[in-house]
Amino acid sequence: MELKSTREGTNLIVDVEGRVDGTNAMDFQSALEDAIQQSDQGVIMDMGQLQYISSAGLRVILLVAKSLQKQNAKLLGCALSESVREIFAISGFDKIVPVHESRADALKALED
Amino acid sequence: MSNGLALTLETRPEELERLTAAIETLAEQDNWPAALTFKVNLVLEELVLNVINYAYDESGHQLDVKLTCNEEDLVIEITDEGKPFDPLHDAPDPDMDSPMEERRIGGLGVYLVRTMTSDMQYRREDGKNHMTVAMSRDE
Repeated sequence: MELKSTREGTNLIVDVEGRVDGTNAMDFQSALEDAIQQSDQGVIMDMGQLQYISSAGLRVILLVAKSLQKQNAKLLGCALSESVREIFAISGFDKIVPVHESRADALKALED
Repeated sequence: MSNGLALTLETRPEELERLTAAIETLAEQDNWPAALTFKVNLVLEELVLNVINYAYDESGHQLDVKLTCNEEDLVIEITDEGKPFDPLHDAPDPDMDSPMEERRIGGLGVYLVRTMTSDMQYRREDGKNHMTVAMSRDE
């Protein structure tokens, strides 16, 4: 798992690459927490290069979404592969993390 | 066609890496589509972590993973000598609908396994937990 983040104004874009599973979910959590700042209003998780995620990784996404909500910020997802999108749909995660086709669509949704 | 894999894992989370590597090798040999590899990985991870995290109070035990495939289906069997635990009845119901702030994550792993498999059976026999799941190759 590799995480790269870039900032666009008050929004943070996080690229997640590789696998997020039970062996590295804790690293995933601390990397996200390190990247997110109190001033961020929106966080876009770009999952275009995310090959695999299990319930251990979903748990981290839920925790991060909850803590962002406390600072009145939103968590959005984009560019999910078919398999990841299916996991999001089955688990109902697409109801708590709105999913967009592309990074541009997600940024636009934050502007609206 | 390859006929599957059989592995004995120690009950510690790092063993998942060995399991993942074995699945990737089999997937390549047996020409699985990416979506099937993803599902097999997920089903095995959720079931194996359940055993590692809940079946024993201490580490240093073992569990057996067996996967067999034929033209249509994959069958996975996980066996351990831990405490009796039937994921079908003993895991909490997943929380799918609560608003984000109230949402609980427990039970999600088993729920994912249930939706990705065509059959899921638990039996306790000879002091062992036997979890058997079947999944179709072409979903």
